[in-house]
Amino acid sequence: MVSVCEKDSKLPRPTRVKNKSPAAVQITAEQLLREARERQEPEVLPSEHSITDSTELSDYRLRRRKEFEDRVSRGGRSDVQVWVNYARWEESQKDYARARSVWERALKDHHRNHALWVKYAESEMKNKFVNSARHVWDRAVYLLPRVDQLWYKYSHMEEMLGNIAGARQIFERWMNWSPDQQGWLSFAKFELRYNETERARSIYERFFLCHPKASSFIRYAEFEVKCGEVSRARDVYERAMEKLEGDYEEAEMLYLAFAEFEQGCNEFQRARVIYKFALDHIPIGRAEELYTRFIAFEKQHGDKQGIEDAIVGRRRTL
Amino acid sequence: MDGERRVHPDCINASNPYHECVEYCFKKIAEAKAKLEKLGLVEAVSGQSRESLADKRIEEESSEEEEEEDEEDSQEPEVDVNQLTGRKKKLFELRLKMSRESLADKRIEEESSEEEEEEDEEDSQEPEVDVNQLTGRKKKLFELRLKMNEARKFNQTDVGSEKKKMEAPTEPKGISKQKWVEARQKKIGKILDANGLDMSKAYMLDTQEAAETKYKKWEKEPTPSGWDVFNQKTLYNAYKKRTKNIQVDIEEYNRMRAADPEFYREASSLQYGKAPKISKDKIDKMAKELHDREEKRQEFSRRRKFREEKDIDSINDRNEHFNKKIERAFGKYTLEIKNNLERGTALPD
Repeated sequence: MVSVCEKDSKLPRPTRVKNKSPAAVQITAEQLLREARERQEPEVLPSEHSITDSTELSDYRLRRRKEFEDRVSRGGRSDVQVWVNYARWEESQKDYARARSVWERALKDHHRNHALWVKYAESEMKNKFVNSARHVWDRAVYLLPRVDQLWYKYSHMEEMLGNIAGARQIFERWMNWSPDQQGWLSFAKFELRYNETERARSIYERFFLCHPKASSFIRYAEFEVKCGEVSRARDVYERAMEKLEGDYEEAEMLYLAFAEFEQGCNEFQRARVIYKFALDHIPIGRAEELYTRFIAFEKQHGDKQGIEDAIVGRRRTL
Repeated sequence: MDGERRVHPDCINASNPYHECVEYCFKKIAEAKAKLEKLGLVEAVSGQSRESLADKRIEEESSEEEEEEDEEDSQEPEVDVNQLTGRKKKLFELRLKMSRESLADKRIEEESSEEEEEEDEEDSQEPEVDVNQLTGRKKKLFELRLKMNEARKFNQTDVGSEKKKMEAPTEPKGISKQKWVEARQKKIGKILDANGLDMSKAYMLDTQEAAETKYKKWEKEPTPSGWDVFNQKTLYNAYKKRTKNIQVDIEEYNRMRAADPEFYREASSLQYGKAPKISKDKIDKMAKELHDREEKRQEFSRRRKFREEKDIDSINDRNEHFNKKIERAFGKYTLEIKNNLERGTALPD
């Protein structure tokens, strides 16, 4: 604190304010901000400095490593991105052993983070270390079997490498965990890509054993129709009808799909029978959609009597 | 319509009740008469028929006329054909047929087969007048020419259908979508033209049900945003998109299948650790695909336009960025307070 009594520095005495009323022109906050913005000096960046020899390079690397390590130890517990940046920088320096160690250290704390696993494996794949990548995927899939993305990417990698049998084994392993519908469908699509329709069929069978729902039956039937096996599709629908007697919502969807399928096959009599059967079996409150479709169907393909019956039947329920 | 029709009795279309002879008809009649007169020389007859045909087909390409010349040329030695005996004659005929085929192949891209058939029909029409009067040699020649024409016709239709097959290979899973779309466009175009409408009014052809389904489509679910962007459905869709780019090599697959006894292995197979020899280019392909994916990832967030707002609420770029984040998170909750501050007084509520 500078003592005011020093003779060398004679500061002017603070004047007393006489007029305490507000000035005519007030400055606004906006104006202040604008001025502050304008008067900003450009940020001071460290000067660009190109590395000329190996000692400078090792110095640079040392410096950056120190920075990264500080950052990681400071906030590493919660922020995965710091680890990722560190590992990626090491890779850019072509020091793959160090990069791997960084990844592993990151995983020690964040093994539940599937994104981290994905990034690790992808970095191995990008640098063409196939067996390391396989190792990483294997561990990831072992620890986090319920994360679909890991399975997708692992099987995709094996497929890209041409190791189809390996990809198949991975899919089989995944199916043992009974994943949801999309997992089964991607397995079936994989088999179809190589024209293995028999295997695809068996997969669909297992699929609806695992998920005995109307949607799975409908998908199976659609697959059969795509293969051109209409009689098999019909079998599927009939089996589904037996299995889903109890559940009304599911059954409704199934009946609708079945009737549409028969319409598609130009089997109008069968479609009519199915509609009538469905309308008998489903409690009246829920059959709204069914009625509308039935009436539309009759209008398209039925005779006058049929249409009238359908409409009257509907009116009666409303 | 019987009244006064200008129909020459010798015109070949005279039997058509709606036909009226024009210059062209008279020309044809004159030619037919000339032919009858010059019955003797077969070559002259053929030359004339060729010439008359050439006159008709003014629009057609010159290559056709070249073929006519070729035909004329090849016909010159024909005079000797009747003097060739059995086998040589057959060989000669075959050679003629082959030369026809090669010419036809060359021409198939330029002309439609219909024109050819027309020409053939006309071809066969002209000499028919004389067929009963041709004797031995000339008759054989005439029959030969008929056979050649037929062969040419068949060749051209076959080449045409082959070309069609080559262009659009049958899809294993039904009609190709593109073809269906094109066919549909044509149909719609025809109906629109019939009603005098424009393509822009194509929607007027929709039935009520079709229109309703279209409206339903517009009411799509909103695209996921925020943390929901990586939900299961979108991840699956991303995977599906990637699988579309996989190049399936069936031969290699079959080879591998033959080589490996445990090709359809179970989950617990002990083959798991053993990886087959993977060629370098496959690895390169995989790395390249990953690089492509990364580039695509850059485009995930779009760069927003910088608006020079009248309202500056930051002193700095960092401050601006921070304010944007804050606004995103708390904007809707603090809107009232902000308005009050702007106004200067709070509203009594």
